[in-house]
Amino acid sequence: MNTGKKNLVRTLESMDFLKMDRRTFLKAVGAVGATAFLGTYKTDIVSALEFAETKVVWLHGAECTGCSESLLNGGNPDIVQAISKLNVNLAYHETLLAQQGIFVDGKAANTSELNSEILVDELIEEGNYILVVEGAIANGPDGSGRYCVIGNRTFKELFAKAAKNANAILAVGTCAAYGGINCADSAVEEITDFRGVAFKKENGDKGMLQELGIHKPVINIPGCPAHPDWMLLTLGAVILGKIRIPEDLDSVLDSYGRPKVFFPPDHTVHENCPRRGYYDRGEFDTEISGDKCLWKLGCKAPYAHADCGMRKWNSGISMCTQAGSPCIACVEPGFPDSARPFYIEAEDKGILLGANIDTVSKVAVGAAALAAGVHAVRRMKGDE
Amino acid sequence: MVNVTVDPLTRIEGHLRLSTEVSEAGVITDAQTSGVLFRGFERFLQNQDPRDAALLVQRICGVCPTSHSLAAAGALDQLFGVADTIPKDALVARNINQGLNTLASHATHIYVLWGPDLANPAYRDVLTPLGDTGSAVWNELVGRFAPISYKLDGQPVPPGSSYLGAIPEKKRLQEAIAVIGGKMPHQVTSFPGGYTYKPTFADITKISSYYLQVMDFVSKYTLRVPFETWIENTYKASSPAKAVNFVLEHLRGLVDKSVVSNNFSREAGWGDAEFYTAFGSELVGETLLGLPASLKHDRHGGYSDPSKIAFLAYGAFYKPEAGDGYDPRSPEGARFQTSGVVTGNLEYQKFNPDLITESVAHAFYEGGELHPSKGETNPFTNPDDIRYDGGSDSRYSWIKAPRYGGIPAEVGPLARMLAMKEPLTTGLALAFKENGYSPANTYTRTIARIQELAIIANELVKWVTVDLDPNGKYAVHTDLSMAKDSEGMGLWEAPRGALGHWISTDSNSKVVTYQPVVPSTWNMSPRDGAGVPGPLEQALIGSKINAVENAAGVEYSNPVNILHIGRSYDPCIACAVHTIDLSGKNAPRTLKLV
Repeated sequence: MNTGKKNLVRTLESMDFLKMDRRTFLKAVGAVGATAFLGTYKTDIVSALEFAETKVVWLHGAECTGCSESLLNGGNPDIVQAISKLNVNLAYHETLLAQQGIFVDGKAANTSELNSEILVDELIEEGNYILVVEGAIANGPDGSGRYCVIGNRTFKELFAKAAKNANAILAVGTCAAYGGINCADSAVEEITDFRGVAFKKENGDKGMLQELGIHKPVINIPGCPAHPDWMLLTLGAVILGKIRIPEDLDSVLDSYGRPKVFFPPDHTVHENCPRRGYYDRGEFDTEISGDKCLWKLGCKAPYAHADCGMRKWNSGISMCTQAGSPCIACVEPGFPDSARPFYIEAEDKGILLGANIDTVSKVAVGAAALAAGVHAVRRMKGDE
Repeated sequence: MVNVTVDPLTRIEGHLRLSTEVSEAGVITDAQTSGVLFRGFERFLQNQDPRDAALLVQRICGVCPTSHSLAAAGALDQLFGVADTIPKDALVARNINQGLNTLASHATHIYVLWGPDLANPAYRDVLTPLGDTGSAVWNELVGRFAPISYKLDGQPVPPGSSYLGAIPEKKRLQEAIAVIGGKMPHQVTSFPGGYTYKPTFADITKISSYYLQVMDFVSKYTLRVPFETWIENTYKASSPAKAVNFVLEHLRGLVDKSVVSNNFSREAGWGDAEFYTAFGSELVGETLLGLPASLKHDRHGGYSDPSKIAFLAYGAFYKPEAGDGYDPRSPEGARFQTSGVVTGNLEYQKFNPDLITESVAHAFYEGGELHPSKGETNPFTNPDDIRYDGGSDSRYSWIKAPRYGGIPAEVGPLARMLAMKEPLTTGLALAFKENGYSPANTYTRTIARIQELAIIANELVKWVTVDLDPNGKYAVHTDLSMAKDSEGMGLWEAPRGALGHWISTDSNSKVVTYQPVVPSTWNMSPRDGAGVPGPLEQALIGSKINAVENAAGVEYSNPVNILHIGRSYDPCIACAVHTIDLSGKNAPRTLKLV
């Protein structure tokens, strides 16, 4: 390794990558490779041994448990390492905990060792926890929240109670962050009225917190599901004090509340796509099961702000476009409507992530994405 | 009478409420299962490009996304008119994707979701007074199956060895799916006409390598008898009796070695499967093997009236030897796991998809009893009407009540194993029936899941190493115009049971109706128009609520049998509660806010 590179690695090791500016980030990634770069921070986490216990209360609303499944796919740190090394007390998690709600003649029975409803109330009472939310929060019908009732109370009510006493909130998955698939346009969407924690789709005034009038710092970790690294590294950064809450949030999060390091405003999945070479040569697949660029099969990678191309999925094995399926931009606040129809090119729709293509630069779709889009139009016109 | 309600039933997918009436003797006399979330899920497919369905509907469930995606792909294959030409290699790739998903889902269920109940303190209270054997059994239960963040009497209990060991294996299986499916959860390769990814020779090596590592776990933790020996003498046994006898002989050998020393450890040959097969059942453990105690899981979760229950399988996994294409109606014998219907008395019938209806008489929807392709439903919109405490005569769930020929049906591993006449499961079911037990019970449901894991692991090797051809063809041509004014039905099996998706389109190839009927809708269904309870409700009614048949007396506040029975179906409520139809006639439906 040359001296320049060694210095850079040393700088990186002492650096707080979540606070790194975009220029340094990309330079660093280019110089040492994404794996080494991301590994730096992971080692930091795994080697950190002595921490005060951090309590995590993980609530499930309208969800598919895909983000919890994804969490269990984490590697280095994996979930067990994260819990033991970072001294995380995963105090409440509906899919993993031993307890369940038990009511005898309508009254909560037994103790918190067996009864999850008593447990969650005790934890909320004690306070001093990080609240993780998976799934959207039903506001309907008619603001009652009764489309989701767990343990004799609406999830809206439980969320409100838990949010009030939380130190900070992590909204994991596109459902918790923005409503996700629960908020897709449909004949019943207005009635179900699902909300993300601090957003409803792109709208930052319509999150459940705003609806309830609660003010809490929120970090959004979207994705359908969220990548385990995004979840565990963010949780780790908060516990390690790498992100101070709330002081640092403005600088490390984008306008949709996402950590910029994982969801870079000026970097899209397209830029590191394994099929990028075909795009540059103007070679496109028009039927499935080919090897070439998926643009003509509707790929939305140029509009998806995530590091999937560098990080890949399931311990770096593959990703959507590598497996021949167009990116559906599942990390974007308008998902899935902003990416539909999945198999038709974005230009053909005339709509880009819910915004008209002419005004697209006004929203947080970066200049690079726009350039990529324009580039593609030009290329395709020439091609046809 | 005391009302004992479990809400939420945790360690399942989604949110489920089980409400029971319990007598002074600790016996359940009435029960309601309630899905407590309404998502209105498929509505958003209406008027959209049908091709989006395969990626979108798998977001119903993060545990079995492959199944939903492949049921959708099946419905789309028929919609586009290409089901009979799908290349064999694409069908093999779908098999591998599903096979790995089923293994991951079953392993997660057995070890992470279902297993922790075996470390419930109720077993300590019953077993330890029985002396050294009882204490040794309790130590194995808590030492293997305790979950994370667990406490007993205020003292932290470390996670069980099997529990901890299983988590990396589940992860490994997900990684194997990523090799052939792009990522997991929510793999990305299902598409009408075939499979988006063309696997490479390196992929075969990679999947094989993951597979070997997982089987290493199986041989160390789950099954101590060599895997091939087990398959040869159970799944491939020439009769159900021979399969059962092999298992009994194997267990007798272990009992002879261990009963004096009270050493029931894995090192002494007691894999998790052997341990549970012996100690889980009164008939197997106490009556046939002469053990001093058992958990008596065969005494609960059964059906008291065989005329009110059936076992239903749609069939799954294409047969590679049949070549290109498949019949969407899944006729008997056409899939590796066949379609079929088995009555409550264990009589066999052919499966006919036209006999499926759905009732909303006890669910929060307006409407009648119709075939899923014609289903019409309006969700309740008045908050005051959404109540869960009205009892069995009221409406109490967002889950609809599907019926087969008018009868509730259990779906899942037990139904599939019976439909395919798997010798061990069939032999055990017959043995229970002959000895006055319900052939379906918490124990057989669990054994069937473990056995299915073994069978699919066995078949997967062939799909990966023999059938998968990197030089093969993975798709036939489709374009949107082929989906005009069409219909499709995708019949498949999710890990937790029979899964069907129905779709229809208009003259612009846009979706008119999309209707999935999912496994947990069958198993967790409420009463139908005739007041007949759903399978889980029937399984609860008549069961005792406390551990080992209330051996330590009646304790309403720790109804461990309700937990076992409920979780034995591997409920997936996100799946079950999305059910709302997309009827073209009323679309977009006018919904009144009362």
